[in-house]
Amino acid sequence: MLELDELSKRYGETVALDRLGFAVDEGQAFGFVGPNGAGKTTAMRIVIGVLAADAGEVRWRGAPLDAETRRRFGYMPEERGLYPKMAVGQQLAYLGELHGMSDPRARESAALWMKRLGIAERADDKVEELSLGNQQRVQLGTALVHEPEALILDEPFSGLDPVGVDVLSEVLLGVARERGVPVIFSSHQLELVERLCDAVAIIRAGRLVATGGVAELRAERAGRRWRLEVDGAPGTPAWAARVAGATPLGNDVYELAEDTDPQGLLDAARAAGPVTRFGPEVPTLAELFRDVIGRDSEREAAR
Amino acid sequence: MSGRRAIYLTSRREVREGLRSRALIISTGIQVAIVVAIVIVAGITGGDETNEYDIGYVGSDAKAVVDEARSAASAFDAEVSPREYADPAAARAAVDGEDIDAAIAGRELIARTDPSDTLTSLLQSSSREVRGSEALRSRGLSEREIDAALEPPPLALVEVGEGSGGSRIAFIGSLLLYVAILSFGIAVATAVVVEKSTRVVEVILAAIRPVQLLTGKVLGIGLLGLCQVTLIAVAGIATALITGSVDLPDSTAGAAVLVVVYFLLGYLMYAAAFAVSGAIVSRQEDVQSASAPLTILLIAGYLVAISTIDSPDSTIAEISTFFPPLAPMVVPGRAAQGALPAWELAVSIVLMLAATVLLLWLAARIYDRVVLRMGAPLKLRQVLRLAR
Repeated sequence: MLELDELSKRYGETVALDRLGFAVDEGQAFGFVGPNGAGKTTAMRIVIGVLAADAGEVRWRGAPLDAETRRRFGYMPEERGLYPKMAVGQQLAYLGELHGMSDPRARESAALWMKRLGIAERADDKVEELSLGNQQRVQLGTALVHEPEALILDEPFSGLDPVGVDVLSEVLLGVARERGVPVIFSSHQLELVERLCDAVAIIRAGRLVATGGVAELRAERAGRRWRLEVDGAPGTPAWAARVAGATPLGNDVYELAEDTDPQGLLDAARAAGPVTRFGPEVPTLAELFRDVIGRDSEREAAR
Repeated sequence: MSGRRAIYLTSRREVREGLRSRALIISTGIQVAIVVAIVIVAGITGGDETNEYDIGYVGSDAKAVVDEARSAASAFDAEVSPREYADPAAARAAVDGEDIDAAIAGRELIARTDPSDTLTSLLQSSSREVRGSEALRSRGLSEREIDAALEPPPLALVEVGEGSGGSRIAFIGSLLLYVAILSFGIAVATAVVVEKSTRVVEVILAAIRPVQLLTGKVLGIGLLGLCQVTLIAVAGIATALITGSVDLPDSTAGAAVLVVVYFLLGYLMYAAAFAVSGAIVSRQEDVQSASAPLTILLIAGYLVAISTIDSPDSTIAEISTFFPPLAPMVVPGRAAQGALPAWELAVSIVLMLAATVLLLWLAARIYDRVVLRMGAPLKLRQVLRLAR
């Protein structure tokens, strides 16, 4: 388990992280989401050790992270970075060695990852001669070449075309599922995060707003919203107005006031026609995100 | 992984990339060519020529004079080939027919009109010596007494003024050090800022510590520089030896060693500072202005060195010897001219070492704090505050 415990960081007067904490299980694909400037990059840089926290600590398998352990992690920074004039294969092997591999093993692993990422035939080309999409693959290769124990990826999907997104998703899920590596990545593509991730952390202004399994978080918020479709009666029907405590939200979704029994809504609908669909309306991650971020900023404004 | 392995890996990368870079190989070739050319041209324009004289003689007294002239010829930058003639008329005819340059017959020196001063003074002094020793021998003096009387220890030769071998070596040495420290220092600054501007530095620093990256970079580029300086120095000395175009003074070997030593010390000190100048900016085009103070110091050192070539004992040369930023360009030149007392050299090296260690330490601290910082170039004041 990788634990972030009460991480705080200030840049002068600006608070970047405010006692941020969450935990990621091994083998988990973990989404790290939040509005721009929420502190995602700062948190990831602290985990990987290129930045020091003012307070708090990061633990891996129960022990505080040290340089030796971090070297076995894989990292892809938000700002992509490669040596433009270095050959692809050499670059990957070099990073494998910097992360502690022997020379022959690093070369072997570089060749393997170039094949997996579909850039094997570019091994001897300089990085600057590659297309941006292929450079992105090399970048991912630098995070993976040393067979890391944990992967920290800052916006790995940004700038990728749909095919690239699919290749990357497959590789990341493969690493997480087959090798039990925790894969933490930040992203603004919430549909993608919902599809790929087992768990998420949502942060705002350096603080944790919500964390947990994606399915659990969504079910928790389902609560008072219900979807109900009546055959032959699309739109907002007249009968709904007669149900006390039910507010139609449109598109066959109703929000019930507290203490209102959903069965009352169902009874009223059945009286109007045959009910084809009835169940709790689970919010998407994007809806959930807007909801919790919105409520958090309201709370802050009220203070 | 040990820090040493991280340093080894990063310096190996610099060496490999350097050897693959056409710019480095071309610049090394050009510099070797320039130094070789300077040595050869110096030989053509300023070197001593050897004159060859064919000298005739008539009789055994004359033969003794010519033999003496033959053994004394090297001091006159000359070579003498003796030729025997049966009588003075034959010798005179040979001189007149330009078969030989001069002849000695009895008490006469036969030469064509307006003979060369070198030739006449060589033969006159030889004649004086032979006659003198004969006179002394007839007075019953031993050979040892005669030698002591006629060949007292020569006056020590002190060469002053332009054009001596030592000053030429001093000039080449200062130029070489100035060019090498400047170009490899700039190479360090550029390598640092390229890593920043391409953002690859964050990927590297996720694996190793900043001080390891900095050390590996300085050492790797320094190794390339050391190879280049050694290659140029060896090429220059080899050219001088092979063509014989420059009389290498005895201090040459020592000066060559000092060039290498002062390259190492000067490079390490300047490389540390250049690395900081690369780290405080974010874009490659800002490197030049950030490293301008260092370039100016190097130019100052070079100017002091060439302006004191004719006066290696001057106060300014002496002060510069003890001022580490200028010393690398000045000291080997003074040593080449034999104008550097041992204690001054020792103090200079100790000061250089101290300055180098201090700057490397300071650079590591600053580099650590600024290398991930992006944006406007930092001011000197901000940098010094960060170093605290």
